[in-house]
Amino acid sequence: MSGVGVERVDYIRVPVKDMQEARRFYGELLGLRENPNSPDEDWIEYEAGNVTLAVMTPHTHEYDFSPLPPGALALRVADVADAKAKLEAAGVEVNDMWDSGKCQGAGLRDPSGNPILLHRRYAPYPDGTMP
Amino acid sequence: MQVEQVDFVSVLTQDIPRAKAFYGETLGLPIETEGENDLEFKLGQVTLDVFNPASIGQEFAPTPAGIAIRVPDVAAARAELEAKGVRFDGEIVDSGVCHFAFFKDPDGNALMLHRRYAPREG
Repeated sequence: MSGVGVERVDYIRVPVKDMQEARRFYGELLGLRENPNSPDEDWIEYEAGNVTLAVMTPHTHEYDFSPLPPGALALRVADVADAKAKLEAAGVEVNDMWDSGKCQGAGLRDPSGNPILLHRRYAPYPDGTMP
Repeated sequence: MQVEQVDFVSVLTQDIPRAKAFYGETLGLPIETEGENDLEFKLGQVTLDVFNPASIGQEFAPTPAGIAIRVPDVAAARAELEAKGVRFDGEIVDSGVCHFAFFKDPDGNALMLHRRYAPREG
């Protein structure tokens, strides 16, 4: 613990315009597990491994929608090319894959325009461990 | 496809030294990597990437993600941050299951202090 005692991220909000299409995208296409204890129909929580994504509609929470900025959310997949192909087969437009020399990525947008990065680091970290 | 985990969440900044002071000193997050236009902090179980989009010719936009940062005590953490000059939006809210308080980083990125005190159902 340091500073003000930051422990972890409990969730991040993913603002969307339409819950129905968002649930299809995050639940069915990305295959994230929906938390059955999500508080309401306009706030559905998806478990993305280590972080909870609170997919919610700003217009029912008293503020205006604006999408997440570029690069806001990087989701780790086993194989970026494979995940890209599967999403494209389901009709999702995915950008060209890039390779930084340490990791691979491919960007896409959810139905509300939020940027999602499919991401996989393949180079070891400086301490020798792997993702 | 299977999503394994979130590798990082990003916020954009227009001033790397200012962001470094805020996240590193004011919030007290450990730095994982540091570059001229990019900082990575350990935010609990996930990496927080802080990036200057002007370095690649992209426009800045603040995040509306409202990253919910878990602290032991929202009131105590808020008081400590206010003493360091951080301004909060509104009072601490008690939802009936958690306490939370909204604030922004110096670039206007939406953040919140959060502590659930009620047990989860099921």
